[in-house]
Amino acid sequence: MTELTDVAGPGVAGNEESSAETQTQAQAHARSVRVWQAIFIAVPLLFIVLLGVRLWQTNVSEQRAAGDAPPFTFTTFEGETISLADLRGKGVVLNFWASWCDPCREEAALLEQTWQQEQANGIIFLGLDYLDQEPAAKAYLEEYRVSYPNGPDLKSKAARDYGIKGVPETFFINAEGKIAYMVIGPIVNQGQMEQGLSKIRP
Amino acid sequence: MIFNVGYLILITALLLSIFGIVTGFLGGQRRNGRLTQSSFNSVLAVAALVTIASAILWYGILTDKFQLVYVWNHSERSLPTIYKFAVIWGGQQGSLLFWNFLLSIFSVVAILSFRGKMNTIMPYVYAALLSSSLFFLTLLVFAANPFRMVGFVPEDGQGLNPLLQNYWMVIHPVMLYLGYVGMAIPFAFAVGALLSKRLDTEWVRVVRRWTLIPWMFLSAGIIMGSQWAYMELGWGGYWAWDPVENASFLPWLTGTAFLHSVIIQEQRGILKIWNVTLICATYFLVILGTFTTRSGILDSVHSFARSDVGPYFLVYLGLMLIGFLWLLYTRMPLLHGEHQIDGVVSRESAFLANNWLFAGITFAVLWGTFFPMFSEILTGDRISVAKPWFDKVVGPLFLLLVLLMGVGPLLGWRFTSPSLLRRQFTWPAVAAAVIAGVTTIFSRNIYPIIGMAICAFVTATIVQEYIRGINARRKHNEEALPVAMFQLLRRNGRRYGGYIVHLGIVFIGVAVLGNEFFQSTTNVTLSRGENVELSGYSLVYTGLESEREGNHMRIGARLIVFDAETDKELSSVLPQRNIYDKNPDMPTSEVGLRMTPIEDVYVVLNGWEAGGETATFTIYVNPLTMWMWVGGIVLVLGVLLAIWPHPAPRTQRAPQELYVPAGAD
Repeated sequence: MTELTDVAGPGVAGNEESSAETQTQAQAHARSVRVWQAIFIAVPLLFIVLLGVRLWQTNVSEQRAAGDAPPFTFTTFEGETISLADLRGKGVVLNFWASWCDPCREEAALLEQTWQQEQANGIIFLGLDYLDQEPAAKAYLEEYRVSYPNGPDLKSKAARDYGIKGVPETFFINAEGKIAYMVIGPIVNQGQMEQGLSKIRP
Repeated sequence: MIFNVGYLILITALLLSIFGIVTGFLGGQRRNGRLTQSSFNSVLAVAALVTIASAILWYGILTDKFQLVYVWNHSERSLPTIYKFAVIWGGQQGSLLFWNFLLSIFSVVAILSFRGKMNTIMPYVYAALLSSSLFFLTLLVFAANPFRMVGFVPEDGQGLNPLLQNYWMVIHPVMLYLGYVGMAIPFAFAVGALLSKRLDTEWVRVVRRWTLIPWMFLSAGIIMGSQWAYMELGWGGYWAWDPVENASFLPWLTGTAFLHSVIIQEQRGILKIWNVTLICATYFLVILGTFTTRSGILDSVHSFARSDVGPYFLVYLGLMLIGFLWLLYTRMPLLHGEHQIDGVVSRESAFLANNWLFAGITFAVLWGTFFPMFSEILTGDRISVAKPWFDKVVGPLFLLLVLLMGVGPLLGWRFTSPSLLRRQFTWPAVAAAVIAGVTTIFSRNIYPIIGMAICAFVTATIVQEYIRGINARRKHNEEALPVAMFQLLRRNGRRYGGYIVHLGIVFIGVAVLGNEFFQSTTNVTLSRGENVELSGYSLVYTGLESEREGNHMRIGARLIVFDAETDKELSSVLPQRNIYDKNPDMPTSEVGLRMTPIEDVYVVLNGWEAGGETATFTIYVNPLTMWMWVGGIVLVLGVLLAIWPHPAPRTQRAPQELYVPAGAD
């Protein structure tokens, strides 16, 4: 072992005076070593490349989510079925809420009041009830006399598609079905509401 | 202002680390003391700068500087101070800085403790350590600046993720990071040894202790993580084979394999290629794990918010891989073994089998973690690989590994004589048979019977080793029992500390067996005063209790636990839900727990109606779970015994070596 100071290629640790037969053996050995070396580089590199592909896919799908409003369909507490796809051409204000959510109460009256004013302007308000129980949710809607369509977000599907961080969260979707503005947390005043609405009025 | 300085400090540290890498490498090549000294100084300077940067970020967090995007996103005014400290590792940018901070501390301690030793390797070690630092500084400067500011000062922050607001979560990530980061040290030594071509056993000997330290932290971090999952996530278990859990487990597996296989290299001079590969694989898996958690490519409860660090990680992984393989291939002839493995029934072959098993488990876990993702890319369908698959594949392999843990230390180096075998295995075999018999009373299932028998076997071998070691000392030195015990650990801590670590693993194994095979569970809705019975317990629901605390509401349901047969009151449990003001949609769960050495009564509050008139619970009885936490503590103690500095060079041959049948260590 000691005489080996530097290395030309792998698997050359044989002695010089070997016969032709052992030399071909050594060559075969060297070749198989090289094959293995190639495999050990290729497999992990392939792994890294696949990770890269996946990363790229993830980023693309996220960019898409940032622009286009993910489609959803829900059934209101009154039994009416509403689909976002049918609302093209209108501005949509999509509000995620829950009856157990205190900050939601801060904006409930403002949402209803704005809906009353804006429905004539081609704006529709939708409420999706997130992780809730129906009696409590209905009592909440009663309490704030909410008249725009509201329904449960079954299996939190829409909430996941929209990637909400919590409730309340409000998405302003324009006539082309793109998310134009969003508010995380309650909409605290008329000004903030107007800022969103101004971007989606058809 | 000060935060701009923070960013400038990071840039300076980045430039300095490049300087240190170049000087370290050249210093090693030209054997130039001044260049080497520059590199050494760079490690210290980078550490100082990173420490200052971390201090600045901590200052921003503790004083509620919400103009910092990081503080705004991850903190809030009413957050208790203790959790404010934890905010630094609660999000992407901060945790990368924190990682770098820990790396700096590790590096400084390591290079100071090797001052003046191993002069051919050290310059390269400095360079390798700084290259790890360089990577993280690159991330901080170009992709994840923790000092980014908004133009105004927001009123209040968004709050820390509620799942992190728990005392386990304050230390669990730190432990994991210490484990992760610490692996950079043995990695740096391996790279140093490869670069300098000093590939004898010297680097392996010094690196063992520096691998044990992060290994201990990693083990403790994993155990604490499962404790957290058990207490907080409320699904009745402690391990779910979640991608992020696997990410922390993978380096543990290869690290553990390395700790064992270096022993053979030390003793017999074989497996050199394998050892270098293992430790580099460990660090590679550390970085891979960090990448998967932070890039959002795997779905998991643990995922960080996405950011643009992903491509950087991939490039780094690629560079590490190619760099390492290039080094390995060019140094191949220097890494040939000095001996062959002689006998089949020898300690070497036990170690070899241990390594094969670890490699197999690593591969299985790696496969199970990434296969769903790759199948989605290649075929469009997501094939999910879940807990049952892992249990089925990995479970038996672990059982074999535990068995080997008992058998290995009893075998001699090179070969084992039949009389030695008889002497070593009689009592442990008897213990195994007895426990197997006892287990049949509780179960007809073959797996827990085999499992418990193996655990008993290993425990017996450990006790036997201790008894023999102590007796040998008492006979030769006429020491009293406690003195003999103390001297045994002091003189040969590596060996006997190792046995304690093994004992800890056995305890954990017992807990796993208990939970896997003897758990009972039920789902009930109870009205006030109503009771439910589950495996010998009777639980009565007495009502809801709520309490306002700082930044959240605590709502708990009180249950009184009775012995179902005697109606004796045993205790009361209070499973809770915490609803945080800033994240009301993420109520966290706190389980109600009555823990005894035999079994845990474990209650999760799922919900309530009519102001607490009725409440819904999931109740588990989890046998032997406590032994998992006991095992974790024992394991850490064992490592501490093993790494505790031994008395300087032995002046005389220690008497236990006269006895030791199988050769020390």
